[in-house]
Amino acid sequence: MKRWFVLFIAVVTFACGVLAAIPVAAQTSYTPPKTREGQPDLQGVWQALNTAAWNIQDHGASLGIPAGRGVVEGNEIPYTPAALAKKLENLKNRDRLDPINKCFLPGVPRITYLPHPFQIVQQADRVTILHEYSRVIRFIYMNGNAHPAGHIDWYMGDSRGRWEGNTLVVDVTHFNDETWFDRAGNFHSDALHLVERFTRTGPDHMLYEVTVEDPKVFTRPWKMSMPLYRRQEKDVELLEYDCAAYLLKQEWDKPDSPLLR
Amino acid sequence: MREWLFATLGTAAAVLLVLPITGRAAGGEPQAFYKPDTPKFPQARTWVAQKAKLPPYKAPRTADGVPNLQGNWNGPVGGGNDDLEEHEFIDVTTPPQESYVSDPPDGKVPYTPWALAKRNEIRAGLGRGWPGESSQRLYGDPNALCLVGMPRISFGAQEILQKPGAVILLTTNTYRVIPTDGRPHMSSDAKSFFGNSRGRWEGETLVVDVTGLNGETWFDSAGNFYGPNTHMIERWTMVDPNTIDYEITIEDPTLYTRPWKMNYPKRRAGTGPGANPLSTNAVGAAGRAPASDPYAKEFWEQTCTEGNHDNVVILKSLGFKWFNAVVAPK
Repeated sequence: MKRWFVLFIAVVTFACGVLAAIPVAAQTSYTPPKTREGQPDLQGVWQALNTAAWNIQDHGASLGIPAGRGVVEGNEIPYTPAALAKKLENLKNRDRLDPINKCFLPGVPRITYLPHPFQIVQQADRVTILHEYSRVIRFIYMNGNAHPAGHIDWYMGDSRGRWEGNTLVVDVTHFNDETWFDRAGNFHSDALHLVERFTRTGPDHMLYEVTVEDPKVFTRPWKMSMPLYRRQEKDVELLEYDCAAYLLKQEWDKPDSPLLR
Repeated sequence: MREWLFATLGTAAAVLLVLPITGRAAGGEPQAFYKPDTPKFPQARTWVAQKAKLPPYKAPRTADGVPNLQGNWNGPVGGGNDDLEEHEFIDVTTPPQESYVSDPPDGKVPYTPWALAKRNEIRAGLGRGWPGESSQRLYGDPNALCLVGMPRISFGAQEILQKPGAVILLTTNTYRVIPTDGRPHMSSDAKSFFGNSRGRWEGETLVVDVTGLNGETWFDSAGNFYGPNTHMIERWTMVDPNTIDYEITIEDPTLYTRPWKMNYPKRRAGTGPGANPLSTNAVGAAGRAPASDPYAKEFWEQTCTEGNHDNVVILKSLGFKWFNAVVAPK
């Protein structure tokens, strides 16, 4: 009896180990519909439903910021010691230092989990992501061109896509060092390299995974993952959030706005 | 130091400061400089006469059976939309040009007397060194602050994409999604720079009804304005394989004595008068690259606000006010 139980435990443990070793993406048995061009159809209006825009790691609540489970696998971000010090400094001064305060392009992957919807539009050689936030537009080229020669300092990087089975895999390089991952001061350098994976897991769900690599800031690559949800409202559409316009309007008549000097 | 700098800024410098830098951000050509003897650019009057002579045209259809408008399209050819109405040479960025207004036939925006006075007041305070200016700076062109709205976005180049139930307009840094699935408008109380667009197909024409506009941007950089009650109806019609007739009707009884229209041709990239046939991309930052460049058709990151800080600070320091939407007194 005891021996049977030990064997049972061993089998269960093994099975769990095997399952854990399979990438989350591969666990989905869902086969998405195809576009007219024959590619997996990721089109529609999607949105993240989490607190990663405030903090990509586990965090408690504070005024205006809900508590949240992090989206970083294992929760730890492998900063170098110097980078960790900078992150903590960023966190302490986030109300002043968060680059999103200026309403500039918010960078990748932060744009994906801002609390605004985005719409994916596919063509044979290009996937375009239209974001409600500041009408930011991301072009993901799949036309056979490699990343252009660089380095190029772009807020949103240069995105090159490919299909791996039903997953859209996007390689992103050519970043500047002027965006953060979240409101908690998690940051990167211009050496940032991302690999994003978009995998439909059901009619209304998509898994979004990002591998983050930046040897100037992190000691090893690390990963985020989160579900994206299809917006269900009848006649859902992207509306307008013109961040820079609202900010200027608010600050214009202040005699000594720190943002306008 | 900064005060000293401003004190030394002459009128010429002020003119440069209010250049519509986002004419390009909205997908247009980079700012050009013109000589006084530049021939008058043809606009609505010439185009309406040309169009009247064209044979009827039926556009190819998409898989959904509607006219296929897809591709890269240029904005109107000319000296930009620096001043909507017909004018002679004003300055190096404002060459002589016919009016964009096709109706009424005199090419004038049919303002009510109150709204015309308002337009003239705005125009006199542009600080551009134009004839008839007051000595006071009033408003800078909202476009110079990277504010983009209807219908100026259409004056630039864009790619048109069609999907079942929607037409999508793309520039390098912004977009419009126009549902064509018959859904109703949102309440026009919900205001925005681009408004709420609803499209439908009428024969060869994409008709787009735009409500909910906030009236916080202008038609041009010369102070021709609309308001939060303004209603716009666009008509996009292919009149030959490489030309879209763009027509927009503007209605607002609180500002205009009658509905009025603008018309201009949008040419397929690489075609039309003066086009570089090797340039295949009217829209992208790589737009002037030869077609042999593998990146020629790609849209690369184009910023506006991000690089405009100094310009904003200077405009504010020169005393320009924030342009709030204009509402006529009852």
